[in-house]
Amino acid sequence: MRKTLRIRRRVVRSALYLMLGAFAVVFLFPFYWLTVSAFKSQGEIFQIPPQWVPQSLRWDNFIAIYRETHLVRAFFNSAVIAVGHVTLALFLCSLAGYAFAKYPRAPGAGKLFAFVLGTMMIPGAVTLIPTFVILTRLGLTNSYWAMIVPGAASAFGIFWMRQYIAAHVPGDLLLAARIDGCGEFGIYWRVVLPIARPALAALGIMLLIGSWNNLMWAFIVLRTKDMQTLPLVIYLLQGETRTPFGMLMAGGLLATLPLVIGFLLFQRQFITGITAGAVKA
Amino acid sequence: MSRTTNGTVWRDIRRHGHFYLFISPFFLLFAALGLYPLIFSFYLSFVKWDGLTEQTWMGLGNFAAMLDDEILWTSLWNTLVIGLLYVPLMMVLAFVFALALNLSWLRGRSFFRAAFFLPCVTPMVVIAIVFGLLYSSENGLLNYLIVRIGRWLPFPWLRPIPWLNSEAWSKVSVALLVGWRWTGYNMVLMLAGLQGISREYYEAAEVDGAGALQRIRHLTLPLMRPTFLFCGILSLLGTVYMFDEVFVLTRGGPGTSSSNFGLYLFETSFNDFRFGYASCVAYVVAFFVFLITLAVSRFNRTNLE
Amino acid sequence: MQDTHPLVDAGASDPNFLRGDITVWSWNIAAKSLAKLVPEFNRRYPHVRVNVEMTGADMQTRFLLSLSAGVGGPDISQLQMAETPKYIATGRMTDLTPVAAKYERMFPASLWRNCVHNGKVYAIPWDMGPCAVYYKSEMFHRYGVDPNRIETWDDYIAAGRVILRKSGGRTKMLPLSNRFLAPMYEILLQQNGGRIFDEQGRIALDSPQGNQVLGVLKRLLESGICSNVAVWSHEFLAGLKSDTIATYPIAVWFGGTIKDTVQEFPGQQTAWRVFPLPALEGGGLRTSNLGGSTLVIPDSCRQKQAAWAFIEYALCTVEGQIAQYKSFDLFPAFLPALEDPYFDQPDPFFGGQKVGRLFAADVARIPPLNRTSDWMEATRYLEQALTTWATSGMNTTGFLANLERKLHRRVGRPIATAAVTDAGGP
Repeated sequence: MRKTLRIRRRVVRSALYLMLGAFAVVFLFPFYWLTVSAFKSQGEIFQIPPQWVPQSLRWDNFIAIYRETHLVRAFFNSAVIAVGHVTLALFLCSLAGYAFAKYPRAPGAGKLFAFVLGTMMIPGAVTLIPTFVILTRLGLTNSYWAMIVPGAASAFGIFWMRQYIAAHVPGDLLLAARIDGCGEFGIYWRVVLPIARPALAALGIMLLIGSWNNLMWAFIVLRTKDMQTLPLVIYLLQGETRTPFGMLMAGGLLATLPLVIGFLLFQRQFITGITAGAVKA
Repeated sequence: MSRTTNGTVWRDIRRHGHFYLFISPFFLLFAALGLYPLIFSFYLSFVKWDGLTEQTWMGLGNFAAMLDDEILWTSLWNTLVIGLLYVPLMMVLAFVFALALNLSWLRGRSFFRAAFFLPCVTPMVVIAIVFGLLYSSENGLLNYLIVRIGRWLPFPWLRPIPWLNSEAWSKVSVALLVGWRWTGYNMVLMLAGLQGISREYYEAAEVDGAGALQRIRHLTLPLMRPTFLFCGILSLLGTVYMFDEVFVLTRGGPGTSSSNFGLYLFETSFNDFRFGYASCVAYVVAFFVFLITLAVSRFNRTNLE
Repeated sequence: MQDTHPLVDAGASDPNFLRGDITVWSWNIAAKSLAKLVPEFNRRYPHVRVNVEMTGADMQTRFLLSLSAGVGGPDISQLQMAETPKYIATGRMTDLTPVAAKYERMFPASLWRNCVHNGKVYAIPWDMGPCAVYYKSEMFHRYGVDPNRIETWDDYIAAGRVILRKSGGRTKMLPLSNRFLAPMYEILLQQNGGRIFDEQGRIALDSPQGNQVLGVLKRLLESGICSNVAVWSHEFLAGLKSDTIATYPIAVWFGGTIKDTVQEFPGQQTAWRVFPLPALEGGGLRTSNLGGSTLVIPDSCRQKQAAWAFIEYALCTVEGQIAQYKSFDLFPAFLPALEDPYFDQPDPFFGGQKVGRLFAADVARIPPLNRTSDWMEATRYLEQALTTWATSGMNTTGFLANLERKLHRRVGRPIATAAVTDAGGP
């Protein structure tokens, strides 16, 4: 009796691993194909039967993309914009979040916060046009500001920070800091921020990924080659008649790699960050 | 010593002063780029404007025009079809994966979690281009596999599929791409939900003699309902507003057959430069989505009791 | 920073002194054809560098976004003929009147009409798409149809019926999908002076001409001679080599596709000829226009003089226009170019027919159409309405009037007929 149970269990477990493994292969396959295609020539990419493993590792595509496109500049742009956006957003949201968390009796605080939360109901799609118009009127299109500033005052961000700070920063600590003569901003900077680090990391990663991967807004506001970000450059590589797929794959791989590496290193923070809003709700 | 309760008036004011100081950077930006656009957009719903020339007052004209706009209805219909194509399957898959990853004896949990979650992290434009290659009618990997399999197995009707060239299949192609991307995300959400269910319930059920499947059916599923609901709402919003996938993979084509609402809104705004009408449409659809969300939440709450 | 000086007619000034580094946005073969002109152009203007960019994805969207942002646009941009009024209406195109007004008479009025706004010229016609009927002469011979006898659309329909009957229902006269009827509507509309918008920009669909066009469409569809295939679809192209389709009433730019495709698809080679487009009534106009492009200089361009020099060379000289026709089959819009003997050359593919001259006939007589900035939207609604109409009984009564009201609600323009009674709009 027990033996059949054990065998049955083993079969079930093996089947499960098999299923998970198969799906994992399917899910990871596009990444594999991306990597492999980056090393193939145009002809090899379209070869039938397909080259599952590239016959030879060609670096031509990478060289071509370095020489013929402004990918390096795009990397730089993406990085500046991502860092700028995340820094600005984290600063604004944590400062305001702390204020809402630890000054609950300030007149109007409750109403203001509820109001901000209310706007979360309205999807961002509604604000695209006006934001574009504002930026155009201010002459800020085609600049880093156009990518950094919109979205930095995130309603979700302030909610997230406030909730974490309220839960993890004890009032006594603040009291002690005040007694020690720490200025209000000093309290924020030296006491609250370190405690809020996990929340900052999670939110920061979420914003980072969003900024790095953003295509639509970049397409709308960035107008000259020297300002384009990575996703935009890759998208525009698609020509009308002949798309240099080899270069495209190489560029795509380079654009994806930082995120993949970051993810593998900081898996837990990534997951917390991206599912941040959801998990708590 | 409790200065907080017996503080002087001066300290109170000062304390409140800092509050306003600290929230002001956020609120300044919020007012300028968060609040004002919402109001301006609402105003634009009543005008006809191309962003370059003068504005024309339309009154309710834009709203009326929505009824005639077949392309809008097509895009909404496409959104529904695409959603139905991938959401149920994705939810089931995510749930199964979550259950599997929740098993105490499972090894390689980190690996599997990473494998399924990685798609969410990467730039959609790159992935969509890769999928485009896989979907290619002549040289794509998928059709190659289909033809190959068709030779082994006795399925004579297995022919290459026009993934991106057919009005029906283009929706499937988009659905597969989106499903692939978000399964891991939903899986993680469900995993968190699963882990939130107290072990006591399971133990009690086991004592009562319930088998594994029964436990899932009568215990897990009901308790997971809030999580499922949440995933559902996110999927709804995602399907309606997604842009990158559709823009890069099919550009809404062939024709307008795979254009979802997100793409429609983008094209109306920045292709046709119909700012007024686009604002109107955006608000109306947002309103209806909100109603649906509300209705579904209400349903969940009453049922849970 | 911007060159705000109005353009000056270069006339007597020395081309050697003109300097510039201009970028041109264009697509596909049009871009290639411009690029090919650059060496010759540089022989006249040695110090003007021209960079033709085939910008690929979403060129028009990005062009509009650049206009809005005021940065990042090209010095010259290609526009589709039918969309030109929309771009001109944005007010961001350079006024070309000082230098281009003198060319007005040298372009067909119907094309020039798209380039002017409030009496000023903002674009120059580049190429055009005069229409005629490509047909399989062997098939006509086999079924005893004489193309010279076809003068009106009703003659055409009758011939189509004959072919349909004699081929046992296998051969249809033309490809006309009931989902894409707008291009055919546009072709027919230009033959009898019909309009979508009148000269004041009011909606004028419901007119005797409009209804005549609708009638022809109805007879075409009802006669059963139309093959319900979409343009550029697989069946559409396969029809070139199979015996499923007998004729292709379409613009001249399709000729290149015929020549290329008959190599590609399997099947027998067949003899092709061309006959002029049937008229709507006896003695009516036997040509029309579909497609074509223009070139514009956005206002943000800082080298307007240099940009104009290139446009002038490519579009307003016989040399430039003929070169593009010879290399990439871009049918000149410049009337003096059409008088070139090159158009009288027999085309061996069409059995020695002087196809160029056939297409060039009467293009100057095509009546101008006021497209207005709402043309693309209007045709989109027209197309949807026609599709519904074609698949639900083709009732012509009130169809155009209904469409007028719908358009009125949609674009906000008044309807040209008297006493507009509106059920609900503003």
